[in-house]
Amino acid sequence: MHEFSLIEAVIDSIEERSREGSWGRITKVTLKIGEMRQVIPEILQFSFSVASKGSSMEGAELVIIELALEKRCRSCGNSWKGSASRCTSCGSDDTETVSGMELEIESVEVEE
Amino acid sequence: MPRRISIRQSVMAADEKIAGLLRRKLSEKKILMLNLIGSPGAGKTALLEATLKGARFRSAVIEGDIATSRDADRIARTGTRAVQINTRGGCHLESHLVQKAMEELDLDGLDVIFIENVGNLVCPAEFDLGEDMKVAVSSVPEGPDKPLKYPHLFSRAGAVLLTKVDLVRHIGFDRGLFWGDVEGLNPLARKLEVSSLDGSGIQEWIDLVEKWVGEKRK
Repeated sequence: MHEFSLIEAVIDSIEERSREGSWGRITKVTLKIGEMRQVIPEILQFSFSVASKGSSMEGAELVIIELALEKRCRSCGNSWKGSASRCTSCGSDDTETVSGMELEIESVEVEE
Repeated sequence: MPRRISIRQSVMAADEKIAGLLRRKLSEKKILMLNLIGSPGAGKTALLEATLKGARFRSAVIEGDIATSRDADRIARTGTRAVQINTRGGCHLESHLVQKAMEELDLDGLDVIFIENVGNLVCPAEFDLGEDMKVAVSSVPEGPDKPLKYPHLFSRAGAVLLTKVDLVRHIGFDRGLFWGDVEGLNPLARKLEVSSLDGSGIQEWIDLVEKWVGEKRK
């Protein structure tokens, strides 16, 4: 249940940007969330509808772009989906996560 | 027409900034910080009690709990400084809470700060507290299927400890399944079996922490 904390952080940082930029009402917030972030979209939506009350994004649409886990091997360049931590081609453990760990405010839409 | 504004900023930017500040401070003071994460009842506090009794390094403990100061009281009885954080319903610790707790510690007299996170295998894995390493604590009675069911914690932990191994002869435990899954998720993690009750594996764990303390001092 860390969704509420995440949404509070989203709202706080957008409110800060909104004050700095003197934005109007915010109508849409887009988040990018990686599969490995253990976030349940429905709970995120619910948290947003509750926590945004009284803020500049009250009633705004929340769009969640979910990104699957993808890894890449630094030795042979192979990439694969899923949580296997050794390269599925050469077996090396020198790997990096390409996507799936995102937790990002991608964009907002603001009324002119 | 509404105007689209690109932000591309981490959701947890504010908290990550504080975690970065803590990490820098701990680097300056050459203090190792370990973030212990496991289910309620996994034996995190018992592991700390056994560790603190046998350790030569100077430690402090930051205790995260939803309510009560029971864990901090247990730690204090070992003669170690313990600071309790009550999250009042929060299922995990965040860096600003750790920052506040650290203000209550005398950092000049410390080698290690152990954080005992709120008992939970999910949320605590998501939050950077400025630690050197997350330590996953999983106990025999929880069953051997936890690594694959909670891959985020087990794949990010620097060490995985299987606790209460004294119970294996009573209730059984598929070690091959457990360690096989941990290896698949996280080949680089240090892997240890301990029992805080009969003391098996505890010295090995203390030696490992001592090695990390030495590396941090360099």
